[in-house]
Amino acid sequence: MLDLELVSKFILSNITVHIPKGISVGLIGASGAGKTTFLKLACGLLSPERGNVYTFGKNPVENRSLLGKKMGCLLEKAPLFHGERSVLDNFRELQMVHRMPETEFLKEYRRLAECFDIGKQERELVKNLSFGQRRRAELVAVLLHRPELLLLDEPTTGLDETAKTVLREILQERIQDGMTVVMTSHELQEVSRICQRIMVLKQGTQMYYGEEAALLRQYAPMDCMRLKLSGRLPDLEDLPVKQYTLSGEELKLRYNSNHVTAAEILEHVLRQTSVQEITIKKPDLAEVIRNLELQEKWEDRQS
Amino acid sequence: MENCMDVMHLIGVYTKTIMKSWFQYKVDAVLRSLAVFLRESTGIIVVYFTLLKFDTLNGWNVYEMLFLFSLLFVTYGILILFFTGLRDFGHTVRSGGFDRFILRPRGLLFQIIFVNADWFAAIGHGGLGITLFLVSAAKVGIVWSFDKVVYYLLAIFGGVLIQGAVFLFLATLNIYLLETGSLKELFYWNARKFAGYPVSIFHRAIQIGMIYIVPFAFVNYFPAQFLLRKEDMAAYPELFLYLTPVLGIVLYLLAYLFWRYSLKFYKSSGN
Repeated sequence: MLDLELVSKFILSNITVHIPKGISVGLIGASGAGKTTFLKLACGLLSPERGNVYTFGKNPVENRSLLGKKMGCLLEKAPLFHGERSVLDNFRELQMVHRMPETEFLKEYRRLAECFDIGKQERELVKNLSFGQRRRAELVAVLLHRPELLLLDEPTTGLDETAKTVLREILQERIQDGMTVVMTSHELQEVSRICQRIMVLKQGTQMYYGEEAALLRQYAPMDCMRLKLSGRLPDLEDLPVKQYTLSGEELKLRYNSNHVTAAEILEHVLRQTSVQEITIKKPDLAEVIRNLELQEKWEDRQS
Repeated sequence: MENCMDVMHLIGVYTKTIMKSWFQYKVDAVLRSLAVFLRESTGIIVVYFTLLKFDTLNGWNVYEMLFLFSLLFVTYGILILFFTGLRDFGHTVRSGGFDRFILRPRGLLFQIIFVNADWFAAIGHGGLGITLFLVSAAKVGIVWSFDKVVYYLLAIFGGVLIQGAVFLFLATLNIYLLETGSLKELFYWNARKFAGYPVSIFHRAIQIGMIYIVPFAFVNYFPAQFLLRKEDMAAYPELFLYLTPVLGIVLYLLAYLFWRYSLKFYKSSGN
């Protein structure tokens, strides 16, 4: 579906990735890491300085018009609408641009407009919409023609919790139907909920591409376990626990999940004492980003 | 056939939405068109009263001059209906609108041409052009035969394409330079100011510019000469009288090839 071979462009350097059909990928990284550049390369708005990009097996720059039918792109600086025209006029134009038959258009448009609650604004000029309203209308626009590949740059910006849930549900449904999604977002919880794979970019370098669980094991392996003890303090000498603190009856343990499992710790503790409550907190993608930023600062200081 | 119908339908949708958006405030639409008409008329009125003080300008009387102006305004009135998108292309690139066109499964130039049309300029300029034509055509001694009507229509067609080629060429430069407002001012609007007068009155360097560089002389001077046969035409080859439609097509094709070649160098906005 989408292949990059040793691609370099602007800050991006030697990116190699294969994204198969029906997979959702979240691009994460600090601002300026090259996420939007990646999306623009994928849709053919930019040509690589080195390497090759293949979208649907074709060079996207040379086949922009052809691929436009199969793609939906929401990019920060490429407005989807004419501000001086009404929302509905803009959708009618999209219907013609994508050659959608009337019945198919009405079916999709009505369903999406209801989901994203834009029906009341369809007669409004786009320039008069609030940012959130415009964003919801834009999401309808990129989903309308049922693209096979959806490229989304910060799609949740400006959305309330209800709209975020709607977006997530629609994307999950479409992904099940075989749509491929590549999205960037600073809302890492949303990325984690929607995407099956994660690609981490750090200053244009591809740090990781794969499943989230493996990413967390690699870059944020420290889990946290809280135990409310009802017996004596257990001896933890034999366990590879990184850090532990005792506050009243609560024992807090931080450990590397690659070295010891929660089950092993519990078994060890329960052999010595009794426990009333157990809470385990796994790290999330935000911690991956924090760790990478810390690592970057440390490397900067070293150099 | 189906494709052709589809394209016509899309043009229809674009035209309908353009009309709706330009004329959503009807009184304002009339006033704005009138404002363009009056703004452009001011220059003509100054020329008119100035020329009344003289008999002729290098052999051209006041009505022949108005006829010359009429060609300029009529061609621009038609031009702007089709080439507003190219006139405003710099803004389209900078605002990210061009990225939107690129990502749609339709021809780029087709979208740029049909997605917008400055109706106020079209009515203002075109209306003034028609008015000048009606005022002058009966008084310049043209006997309107079938051949001359056909020639006139072809000259309008060629004149629109020549200016369209200049717009397209300047629009293409936006891909490299992002902003070409001053180039447009220099090569289109300033050249157009000269074009209101018979090219023969100017210094040789300006004549070369008007004939060979930005060939406005073929938009109105040579077509007017074909119909009026003034004495100052002796300074130029007879062939020039017939070149306007051909030159329009050739220049537009050249500009189109330059456009196609340049697209691969386009860097998306925001980069």
